[in-house]
Amino acid sequence: MNAKLKETILNPLFSVNPITVLVLGICSSLAVTVELKGALVMALSVTIVTALSCLVLSLLRNSIPNRVRIIIQLVVVSMLVILVDQILKAYAYQIDTQLSVYIGLIITNCIVMGRIEAFALANKPIPSFLDGLFNGIGYGMILVILAIVRELFGSGTLLGMRIIPQAFYDAGYVNNGLVILPPMALILIGCIIWIQRGVQKELQED
Amino acid sequence: MNTNSNAYTIVYTSIIVILSAAILAIASQALKPRQDANIKADTISQMMTAAQFKTEGLSNDAIISLYKGAIKESFIIDNKGGKVSDMDKASSEIFSTSKLKAQNSILKRGKADQMKLPVYVFNKDGKDITVIPVYGAGLWGPIWGYLALEPDMKTLAGAFFNHESETPGLGAKIKDDPSFRARFVGKSIDLKAKPAFEIIKGGAGNKSNAIDAITGATMTSRGVGDAIADWLDLYKPYLTKAEE
Repeated sequence: MNAKLKETILNPLFSVNPITVLVLGICSSLAVTVELKGALVMALSVTIVTALSCLVLSLLRNSIPNRVRIIIQLVVVSMLVILVDQILKAYAYQIDTQLSVYIGLIITNCIVMGRIEAFALANKPIPSFLDGLFNGIGYGMILVILAIVRELFGSGTLLGMRIIPQAFYDAGYVNNGLVILPPMALILIGCIIWIQRGVQKELQED
Repeated sequence: MNTNSNAYTIVYTSIIVILSAAILAIASQALKPRQDANIKADTISQMMTAAQFKTEGLSNDAIISLYKGAIKESFIIDNKGGKVSDMDKASSEIFSTSKLKAQNSILKRGKADQMKLPVYVFNKDGKDITVIPVYGAGLWGPIWGYLALEPDMKTLAGAFFNHESETPGLGAKIKDDPSFRARFVGKSIDLKAKPAFEIIKGGAGNKSNAIDAITGATMTSRGVGDAIADWLDLYKPYLTKAEE
């Protein structure tokens, strides 16, 4: 059991990371990683939604009629996503408008539905909750890495605070405009996948 | 128990849906006051950004107190330019975006003479800056914004636009790209021309009452242009009167 639990926690972070290995949730990871603040909120939202929906659906797993199971999953996931959106609107309005459609689109994020179908419907509530939680963290981790690189080199700031000193700009340093654009996020994800496969040889395909 | 029977499926699904709806309804009720305060502060910061006040990063309370300090007059007019009523300054009453939407649907029904049109006059560095709203349709949903006019009622001091669901990175630039609203500064409206202000695809050249459209967002740019032209038409009697 202990080894299995360890696997549930560590797999989503590294060897079965939703973004770098399963290549899920790419769309939102390109869109919300221009600034670290947005990426953190998105990472937190996805983690909460994935963890709670896995928990709820795992609790319901033996009673759900098989023919309508996807619909039931969607109802639960959408409810949680709308709840998160409402809470953000009340407590972090600027970030909510900045993330715009991408909060709503968590509903269609493949990670959420994927983990429910693959894990939560066949496992007990606690392991399911942990599986959802760490898949969310695995997704969020990559988001944060991307956002740090993009905000630092694209705007010279982190969380809105100036990191690259003014003296650099005076000496002729310019922010890299390309890093701000979505294609650069895709290139960065490619680099992360490259590094990860270089380290974890078992992920390499022939 | 047979979880695959029709009756079970229907009852089960109904219970889940009703439960979810109840949870969302309770959450919505509980969070509404805070959301409304956020929306009001956001609306105020939109019109004040148009008038070139700095509202970025301010808290709701700071925005409200900035508004109270800067507002000189706020009132409602009709489309003949006559004043209908004053807005309550003490409670910093504003004309919300949903009210603008309602006015726009009155306009669309062809009953422009029944419309209520808000006017805000701010005191900015000793000058009277008049702010008026515009409302229209973008590519995917409504777009709206505020135009700020210098005391001559012709020159634009600034503008701010917002949208509900324009494409991020393209149409959404009307809000996200500060260089778009910067294009308005120093331009002027020409009430004798039709339209009084234009957004031109392919470049406005030296025209004083036009700006360039956004590349890749033709429909949104056209929507903004139409919204400005339509609403300036409504404010024309008032602006002409105020000009004299």
